[in-house]
Amino acid sequence: MMEETGTVSLTRRGVLVAGSAGLAAVVLIPPGSATASDEAIELIERLTGRTLTESDRLRLEMPAVFPTGYTVPMTLEVDGPMTEFDHVRQVRVFAPKNPIIEVVGFHFTPLRSIARVSTRIRLAAPQYVVAVAEMNDGAFLMTKTWVDVATNGCA
Amino acid sequence: MATPQPRVQVPDTVAMGEVFQVKSLISHRMETGLRRDDKGDVIPRKIINKFVCRYNDAEVFSVDLHEAVAANPYFEFYLRATERGRLEFVWEEDGGAVYSLVHQLNVS
Repeated sequence: MMEETGTVSLTRRGVLVAGSAGLAAVVLIPPGSATASDEAIELIERLTGRTLTESDRLRLEMPAVFPTGYTVPMTLEVDGPMTEFDHVRQVRVFAPKNPIIEVVGFHFTPLRSIARVSTRIRLAAPQYVVAVAEMNDGAFLMTKTWVDVATNGCA
Repeated sequence: MATPQPRVQVPDTVAMGEVFQVKSLISHRMETGLRRDDKGDVIPRKIINKFVCRYNDAEVFSVDLHEAVAANPYFEFYLRATERGRLEFVWEEDGGAVYSLVHQLNVS
């Protein structure tokens, strides 16, 4: 009887230990699914009231994986001559999974500044970061990039 | 709370028409208003909410900062040297405090 109980305890403990080891296994969050991407874009379209055209004229460079959400590096650049006739007016950056979605907005001046800037932002969770560029002709360009942060930078 | 310290890095001289890089930094906690203290009360938001760069009094670059800009806001941006003159950098904080720096630009 004692032996049986011993075996059952060991087994149960064994099962529990095996179970928790399974739970503790590290799960790398894979790059966002198409659904996550669509949701992010839809949210920004609602926020800005604009239909957004994905464009490779606008580039958002961020690390795909980063150990902290407190200070994630970000560079954005828009191709173009920055003349009176063809320039970026402003670029807004959004993080849809952050408690407060709008992150930062940059205003550029034709002939005086280049449409390129680097900074550091906070991210609360792995997500698509979305940039929207407003051009002088009224076009709204958009790009997004997936960033997997290991910690919540907004807490 | 320590007074925010602004710093700027601009090249010593630039050639006329050349694009040059500016780095700006201000030490600031950027309190988001989302954190709670030990008693459980919300720590109120206090951030730098605007950064402006003026070149001989004309605004050439500016930033609207929200809560998700990281602490010690840092910007690296690029201007075109159009004339000799004064670069002025201004940071505005929630509550109205303003921090600024001036830099004389040598254009060859």
